[in-house]
Amino acid sequence: MHSYNSHSKPSSMRAVIAVAFIAVLAVGFAGLMVAPAEAAYMQEAPVANAGPDVNITVGQTVQFDGSASVPSEGATIFNYTWNFTIFAGTPARQMYGVNPSYTFDITVSGAHLVYVNLTVTDSAGLNASDEMSVFIREKPPTFFDKYWLEIFLICIASILLARPVYSVAKSLITHEPIVTEASRERYRLTFKKDRKIFYQLIRNPMGAVGVVILVFFASLAILGPSLAPYDVKAIDPANAMELPTPEHWMGTDNLGIDIFSELLYGARTSIVVGMVSAIIASFLGAAVGLYSGYVGGWKDEVVMRLNDIVLSIPWLVLMIVVAALLGQIDLTGIILIIGLTGWSTTARMVRAQVLSIRERQYVERARSIGAGEMDIIRRHVFPNTFPLVFANTILTVAVSILSEATLSFLGLRPVGEVTWGTMLSFAQEASAFQIGLHWWILAPGLCIVIVVLGFTLLGYALDEILNPKLRHR
Amino acid sequence: MAKRSFRWIIAKRIINVFLTIVGIMILNFFLIHLMPGDPITNMIPRSPKFDVSLKWELQEKFHLNDSMPEQLVWYLYNAFTLEWGTSYMANKRPVFDIIMSDMRWTMLLVGVSTFITLLLGMAIGAYAAYRRGGAFDVGSTAVSLFFYGMPVFWLAILLQILFTTHPLGISWWPQLPAGGYYDTDEFGAELKWTFPVVLSMMEHLILPSITLAIGTVAGVSLVMRSSLVDTMTDDYILTAKAKGLTDYQVLRHHALPNGLPPMIALIAMDVAFIIGGAYQVEYIFNYPGIGWRTIKSIGDLDFPILQFIVVIGGVAVVIANFLSDLVLIYIDPRIKIS
Repeated sequence: MHSYNSHSKPSSMRAVIAVAFIAVLAVGFAGLMVAPAEAAYMQEAPVANAGPDVNITVGQTVQFDGSASVPSEGATIFNYTWNFTIFAGTPARQMYGVNPSYTFDITVSGAHLVYVNLTVTDSAGLNASDEMSVFIREKPPTFFDKYWLEIFLICIASILLARPVYSVAKSLITHEPIVTEASRERYRLTFKKDRKIFYQLIRNPMGAVGVVILVFFASLAILGPSLAPYDVKAIDPANAMELPTPEHWMGTDNLGIDIFSELLYGARTSIVVGMVSAIIASFLGAAVGLYSGYVGGWKDEVVMRLNDIVLSIPWLVLMIVVAALLGQIDLTGIILIIGLTGWSTTARMVRAQVLSIRERQYVERARSIGAGEMDIIRRHVFPNTFPLVFANTILTVAVSILSEATLSFLGLRPVGEVTWGTMLSFAQEASAFQIGLHWWILAPGLCIVIVVLGFTLLGYALDEILNPKLRHR
Repeated sequence: MAKRSFRWIIAKRIINVFLTIVGIMILNFFLIHLMPGDPITNMIPRSPKFDVSLKWELQEKFHLNDSMPEQLVWYLYNAFTLEWGTSYMANKRPVFDIIMSDMRWTMLLVGVSTFITLLLGMAIGAYAAYRRGGAFDVGSTAVSLFFYGMPVFWLAILLQILFTTHPLGISWWPQLPAGGYYDTDEFGAELKWTFPVVLSMMEHLILPSITLAIGTVAGVSLVMRSSLVDTMTDDYILTAKAKGLTDYQVLRHHALPNGLPPMIALIAMDVAFIIGGAYQVEYIFNYPGIGWRTIKSIGDLDFPILQFIVVIGGVAVVIANFLSDLVLIYIDPRIKIS
C-alpha cells in the first residue's frame, strides 16, 4: 500500500521511467540472447481490469481493487497507474505503484463524479488501460437539512422577540405568579418603550436601509429553495460549465448545477450559519463578561488574561488551524468553530459595562436592602447591559457570515453544503472569470457584501439608539 | 513619583505580554494535543520498509512517552529556545527558518498597507467629521460601510481580474503583475538584491497592499470619524469655538489630539484582522508570506508549521498592542499621571 505524496511524484515518475527503460532493454536483450527472434513479436498486451463502478457517499474512502492478466508467458505486471479525474477537469490525482489496490480518500465536498483510469504496464513495456467511475452521492439528510426552517425561525424569533419575551417572563417570574395591576403596568411600559425603539429604528436612515435589506434576504432564505428553478443536489455532467442562457440565468457550475439556484439555496445556509454562531458567541461572551465584571478580584484577572490570549490569536488563523486539525467538517462544526472563537470581544465589552454599572447607586441600594448577588445580576446588571449585547449580536452576525465565507473560500468548506463561500471557492478553483462565468464569482460575493452591510447598518443604528453614551449626539 | 509609576506601568505591561505569550503557547499545546491523529504516524513515510523500532525511537526522542505536564514543559522549553522542529515536507527545513523567511514578505505587505491605511483612513475620517452631515461625510460613510463588509478575498479576485486584463478592450488600462513577489521568469528563482529586482518587487506589491488597505481604510475612517464626532461634542470644543477659533484650528489643535489615543488603541486591536486579511491576499496573489505558507501547509497537513503559525500570529498581535500602549502612555498625559 502506498500513500499519495505530491512531492515524491517527479522522482518516483523518473524512477519508474528509468526502471521501465532498463526493464525493456533487459527483456529485449534477454529475448535476443535466449529465444529465437520471433519470440519478441509474440508478446501480447496485458489485460487490465479496474473493477466495477462504485457508488459511495461523501466522506467515505474507496478501496480500488484492480487486477490484470498477462497473456504472454514469462511476462509479469510491472506497475499499476491509477488516474483520478474529478469530473471532466484536469487529472486531479495520479498514483503509481506496484500494487493493484489503492485506497482513495474522497475529500471533495458535494456530489461528484470521478473517472478512474487504471493503466497496467507489463515487464515488456506493453500497457493496457481500463476505466471505471465512482459516483459520490450526497450524505443522507442531516439534522440541519431536516430542521433548518425551525432553527432559522428560532434564530429570528430569539433576536426579534428576546426583549419582549424577557420582560414578560420577568414580570411573571420575579413577582407573584398572579398577574397584578403593577406587573401589567410594567409590561405595558416595556412594550411602549420597545415600540418607541422600533419607530426610532425605522426613522433612522441607516436602520431603515438595514431593515429593508434584511427583510429581503430573510424572505430569500425562507422562500429561496422553493423559488429555485433547479435542484442543487442533482449533478448533470452533460451541462457543466455552461455560459448564461435563458434556461440558466447565471450559467452552470463544474457539476452542471444551476448557479442561480445555488445562490438562492446559499442564502439560507449562509445567513443561518451567521446567526447561530453569532448567538453562541454573544451568549458565551455575555456570560463570561457578566461573571468576570461582577465577581472582580483575582477571578476577574484570570478570566481576563484568558480572554486576552484568545483575543490575541488572529481569529482567521485560529479558525483555519482548528478546522484543518479536525479535517472534514460539517455545518455544525463550522458553526461551533466560528461561535467558540468569536466571544472574546463581546466579553470584554460586557465586562467594561458591568464594571461601571456595579458602582451605580441603585446597585448599592439594592445591596443595602439585602438583595442577593444573583438577584442583583438578574434584575439590575443584566438588563442594563442587554441593549449593548443585543446591538453587538447583530454586528457579530455580519462578522460570522464573513468568517464562514472566508473559511469556505480557503478550502475549509462544510461537506456537502451550498453556501456563498463554497460557491466562491469552487468558482475560484475553476477560474470562472477566464471561462466567462462572471456571475459565479460576482453574485455570491455581492450577496455577502449586501447582507453584511444590512447587518452592519442595523447594528450601528441599534447601537446609536440603545447605547446611552451615544444617545446625546 | 510620577516617573516611578510610569516605569511601574511599563514593567507590569511587559509581565503581561510575557504571560500572554506563554498562555498562547499553552493553549496551542492543548489545541494540538486534543486533536485526533498521531504525530509520529504523520512523520514517518508509510512504506513496507517501515520499522516498528523506529516509531519507539521517535516517541522517545520527542518525549511522547512522558506525562502531559512534562511534555508541556518540554514544549515550552523548545519553543523558547527556537527548536521548532522540522517541516514534514521533503526538504525537511527547520520550521523556524521557514517561518522567519516567510515573515519578511508578510511584514513588508502588512507594513506598506498599514501605512496607506493610516494616512488615508485618518484623513478621510477626520475630513468627514470636520464636515459632519455634508456630502463628503455621507458619501464616505456609505462607501466605507460598503467596503467594510466586503470579503477581502473577493475584492482581491476582482482587482486581480481588473488589473491583469484589459477590461472592455481599453488599451491604456494599467497592467499589474497577477501574483508572486518579483518577476522570477526574468530574474531567476534565486533572490538577488539588485535594483531591477527591487523595482519588480515594488511593482508586485502594489495590488496586494492596495487590496489589503481598502478594507482597513474603511474601518479606520469609520472609527476615526465617530471618535472625532464624540470629541467634537465635548464642552472644551464649544469653549474653543466661543474663543473665536476657526473650524480648522479647533480640529487641528483641540479635537485631533484628543481623538487620536482611542484610534491608536483600536488600530492595534485591528492588527489581528489585518493579519487575517493578509492571509487571504497572499493566497490570491500567490505572495509567499505566512498566509500563503499556512494555506500550503494545510494542503500538505504540515502540522509543525501550522502550530507555530498560530503562535507567531498571537505574538504579533500582543506586541502590536504593547507598542500601542507605549505610544499611548507617551502621547497621552492623563495615563502618565493616573
